[in-house]
Order: sequence, then structure tokens, then C-alpha cells
Amino acid sequence: MKTWLRSHFLALCILALGLTAGGMAYAETAAAPAQPAAAPAPVPPATAELREAAAKAPTPADLAKGDPGGTITGSIADVTVTDAKAGPTLADAGNQIGQNKIAINFVWTLICGFLVMFMQAGFAMVESGLTRVKNANHTYMMNFFVYGCGLLAYWVLGFAIQMGGAAGNANLGGLYPLASEHTISLFGKTWGIFGESGYFLAGHAYDVGVMVIFLFQMVFMDTALTIVTGACAERWKFITFSVTSVIMGALTYPLFANWAWGGGWLAQMGTNLGLGKGYADFAGSGVVHSVGGLTALAVCLIVGPRIGKYNRDGSANPIIGHDISAVLIGCFILAFGWFGFNPGSTLGASSNGNLRIATVAVATMLAGCTGTFGSILYMWITKGKPDASMSGNGLLAGLVAITAPSGFVSAPNAAIIGLVAGVLVCVSVYFVENVLKVDDPVGAISVHCANGLWGVLAVGLFADGTSNYGGSWNGVSGSVTGLFYGDAGQLAAQLVGISTLLGVVFTLSFAINMVLEYVIGHRVSAETELNGLDIPEMGQLGYPEFVFRPETALKAA
Amino acid sequence: MAASKSQGSYFGLFLVGGTVLCGGLAYIASGTGKLLLVVGAAILLAAAIGFLKIKPLEGETAVLPSPESMKWLGAGVALLGWLVTLGGLHLVSSNGGRIVVALLGIGVSFFGILYVLPAAFNKTAFWKKAAATSARAGFSSVASRATLDHSELTAAPTAMGGAK
Repeated sequence: MKTWLRSHFLALCILALGLTAGGMAYAETAAAPAQPAAAPAPVPPATAELREAAAKAPTPADLAKGDPGGTITGSIADVTVTDAKAGPTLADAGNQIGQNKIAINFVWTLICGFLVMFMQAGFAMVESGLTRVKNANHTYMMNFFVYGCGLLAYWVLGFAIQMGGAAGNANLGGLYPLASEHTISLFGKTWGIFGESGYFLAGHAYDVGVMVIFLFQMVFMDTALTIVTGACAERWKFITFSVTSVIMGALTYPLFANWAWGGGWLAQMGTNLGLGKGYADFAGSGVVHSVGGLTALAVCLIVGPRIGKYNRDGSANPIIGHDISAVLIGCFILAFGWFGFNPGSTLGASSNGNLRIATVAVATMLAGCTGTFGSILYMWITKGKPDASMSGNGLLAGLVAITAPSGFVSAPNAAIIGLVAGVLVCVSVYFVENVLKVDDPVGAISVHCANGLWGVLAVGLFADGTSNYGGSWNGVSGSVTGLFYGDAGQLAAQLVGISTLLGVVFTLSFAINMVLEYVIGHRVSAETELNGLDIPEMGQLGYPEFVFRPETALKAA
Repeated sequence: MAASKSQGSYFGLFLVGGTVLCGGLAYIASGTGKLLLVVGAAILLAAAIGFLKIKPLEGETAVLPSPESMKWLGAGVALLGWLVTLGGLHLVSSNGGRIVVALLGIGVSFFGILYVLPAAFNKTAFWKKAAATSARAGFSSVASRATLDHSELTAAPTAMGGAK
């Protein structure tokens, strides 16, 4: 019986999934909305002018001759009309303009989402390059599989928790199917806690706008998940990594993302308490990077340092990664992907102040640049060499720090934020390694947690009040303005956000992973760790023809 | 133990249980939804029992037991900092006062995360122990070698048992 169960396990899993999906398909069929009746459109005065223009439009015969200058392709003849015999009306032209706006925003958001998805490759190269060759396959595989684990978890549950109550985005057509936020009443105010619609993207969530926001938010969530894999590399059991990634994608990340981006209580601090425009995190220094970095810190504490990292007197040994070229190429891939991360967070390129994408992109570029300078100069001056891996981390630190403020700050302020981040990452790496005695092989805690928190704080200081995303932010009229430009309330909102990240996100991540420690165990056996995780955990070496070098650090210990 | 068929099976069970549970949440108002919720929870419980059953097969890790109460205390202090901040939002009405209380809350959380928790985990850290004590002795037979040959990399993990 046991053998039969084992051999038919996969078939049983598929059957169970099929039954679940079938039940949902049945529910969707029952809830299909009725088609609205068409009403006759009034004929406005401008209709005659439109029809005259249609008569003068290039004909198929004109277009057949070719259009090398691109001057006649695309005209009023391409406008979709409701009555072909009557010709174009003002309503047709208006509908076409509206759909063009939404189309531009859809395409912009989707392409930016594709860029963010490609960042997974950058993370894989950075993390694997900074670890030893005996763990290369394992580290790459964690970065590969986290994409699937996160996507599945986000599809079945995470998206509903995060965006289930996020209706009202004018850039993407309103997102009206996502209109169910679970709220509580506290101190006479109503506060959003988590979303309740959009499970499995089924039912009314079977909507083009919802699909766009799902794709974009999903790749952000996966970025947060992959931060943890680097910090815990070289000693983390693959099974525990898989389970915790699913839970993080389904619960931890979406919960905070709802509070910040899904209409939750942090975003409501502006309307409910008059704290600036509420918690403002343009592209996710807090939502993505601090959540990932704090979870990395929680798991790193539990999983413990690698064998050979610390000597008996507590001093740390450097454990050098195997491929610095992969690290630096990975950093460039990440910097490229960041142009999807930050400018894409406008969720549109047309109207509602979205032309600010240019400022957002330049702020992103500048902060990465000054972050690199900050770390290179710090290492060169204090250690004597412009350390390559810290240079890469400086670039990433600048990008992480500018992620939250990128939509609200000027170019000079972006440069300052990046420069501070570049120095901060170096100081933080030293602090984490030598004071906390937490072993983070890739510096993920310093890059993403420390600089993510710095980015959230920077919004409350440097936001200059010139952005105008539809005239309001989080439902409060006006622009996000920091302390240096006159709004102390915004700084207070940002500090509440930081406190929530530390008090709730860290504690929740820690508790979940402590339970997993009791149930599954986070760490591989000492023998597996010494041999390298590639064979015991993955079944094959990353580089089969490499020759291993002696573990000198271990002999010293 | 490293990765095994049992791990893969129980992870599959965990995914199926989680998916069915979420199907139940999606349609919680209906009878089918409630049924899916119960079935999903039962499958997740079975997966957890399976994980517990195979956990001892992993073998001895480098990490030594450390005080559990200190760990949970550290997490509690981190949470307490957030409660201080929330309390400040309710009790103080000026922006300056709320900033001060939020900074206090952040300080409390940092104390829990950066002081209490590392102290708890590092109290019995394996790297503080002499090589002759049990945890180090477990892998010193491998660690003291200059190189590892390929046959050892592919062999079943039995060296730990011999060392003990």
C-alpha cells in the first residue's frame, strides 16, 4: 500500500489540484455578469469634422506604395468605429483616446514588470558568485526555484491579501474587481488590514487590468524572496528554503505590501491621522527590500554562521566567493532591471503626472552611481583597495535606498541618498559580521535591510513636494513633502512604517521560521556543509571539472 | 540525510494542502469552501507530521542548542517597540511628539533585534567550542583533511556517525 501510494503520489496531487480548479471554474460560470444593453449615441457637432478628416485619410492604395517616412501610417482611418457606414463619431474618438491611455500604461507597466523579472538572473549571479564553488549549483537553484515558489504562493493567496482591496487606480482602468478590503475600527477610524478578493485570479478578478497589476506586483514580491537566499547560502536545507519561500510569498510579504500599497492602514495614516500623505514608499525600499532584508536577518540568526566563518575568539574569517566576474555582471543586470523597478512604479506613462518617469529613471541612475562611489571610496580610503564585491554592493545599496524616494526627490537629493547608502552598506557589513556575529555571505542584510530602512526614512526627509501623481497620494491632496521641505508629518508616517517593519515584519518572519526550525530544521548536517551542498542537496556539482582547494579556514579554527 | 524522496513527497503534500486551503478561503462563504478549508488544513497537518518524522535523518548539524526563551524574548521586545509607536499615535497629537515616540519604539525594537536575539543565538555558538567537544569532533575528521576527493562527495553521509 505504501509503495502504491508513493508511486501514485504525483497523480493524486494532480487530481487534487484539478478538483480545486474545477470547483472554482464552476463558481466563475455561475457568477458571469450580464451584458449591458447598447444605447443609441448622440451625434455631437464635431462629428462632421471627424467624417471629413476620415474622407481625407490615406487609403489602402496610398499605403500600398509604402511609407518610408512614417508620415501617413496611423490616421483617423485606424480609429475603431461603432458604425462603419456612419463613419467615426466624437464618442469613437474619445473611446480610442481613453483606450490608448490605458494601453500605454498597460504596455509600460508590463514591460517594466518584465525587466524586474529579469533581475532574478542578476540576483542569481551575484549570490552564486559570492559563494564557494562547492555550493554553486545549490545557490543558483535556490534563486531559480524561489521564482516558482513565490509565484505559486502569490497566485493562490498572496495577491488577494495584498491587492484584494486596491480598487481605484486610474492608470490601469480602475481595477474595480479588487474592491474588498477587510477593515477594523479602532479609535474611531476605519483601518484596512488585508485584501479579500483575487484568489487564483478567478471570478471577477479574471480582468485585464488585474492581470497587469498581478504580473507587476508578483515580480516585486519575488525580488523580496530572493534576498533571503543569498544571506542564508551555503548551509540552508533546500526543503526548508522551499517551504519558507512559499509562506513568505503567500503571507509575510503581501501583508505589509497591503498596508503600504493595497489601501491598508499605513497608507491611511494621512487620511485618518493627518500624517503627511500617509506612509509613502514609491517603489519598495520598505515593502520589498526591508521585508526581504529583515526576513534574511531572522533566518540568518536561526540558521547560524557557516563552519569556519568565526574563530574561537570571535574574529571573522573572510570566505571568498568563487566568481567576481559573475558578481559584477549580476550587479549590472540588477541595475538594468531597476529601470523597471522604479520608473515602472508609476504604473503608467500617460497622464496623472506620469511623465515624471524621466525624473524617476535619472534619480535611480544617479543614486546607483553615487552609491558605488560611496563604497569604493570608503573601502579604498579605509582598507587600501577599491574592493570589487563591496563596489557591487555599493551600487545595489544606492539603488535600494533610492527605491522609496525615487518618485518624490530631485536629482541632487537622489545623489545624496545614494552616497549615504554606499557608505552605510560598508559600515553595516562590518557591524553585522563583527558585532552581531551574523554570517551573511553576500551582504544582503546590509544592502537590503539597512539601506531599505534608510530609503524609507529618506522619503520623510528629502521629498520635495513637486511630484503630482493625479493631484494626490494615498487619498490626500497634494504632493509628498519631507521634513526638509516643510512637512514633519510625513517623517512621522515614515517612522511608523519603519517601526512596523521592525516590530511586525521581523517578528512574524522570525516566528514562522522558528516554527519551521522545530518542524523541518533549517540547517544541513555538518558533513553536508563541509562537502558542499551541491551533491547532497542537488545531486550534481555546479562545476564538475573544478578541483576543490583545502578548507584552510577550518584548519586554522 | 540531504535531499531525499521523502522530502519531495512531503513538500508536494504541503503544496497541495496549501492550494486546497486557499481554495477554501476563496469560497469560504459556501459549503464547498468550508469543506476545502478543512481538507486543506488536514493535508497541511499530514505534511507537517511527515516533515517532523524525517527531521532526525538529517544528521548532526554544526549548531548547538541555545536558550529558547531568550530567542522568543528578543522577538517579543521587537514587537513591543511597535506597540510603543502605535501607542504614541493614539496618545500624542503633535507631529514632533509622534516622531519622538516613534523613534523610541524603533529603539526598543532595535534593542530586541540587535542585542537580545544575537546574544541568545551566540551564547552557545559552536565556533566558541574547542575542537574536542562533541559538535566539532563530529566533523573534524573531515575538516582536518587537506582535500576531499570526488568519491567522498558522492558517498552517502556516514562519516558523521563514525565520528560520534
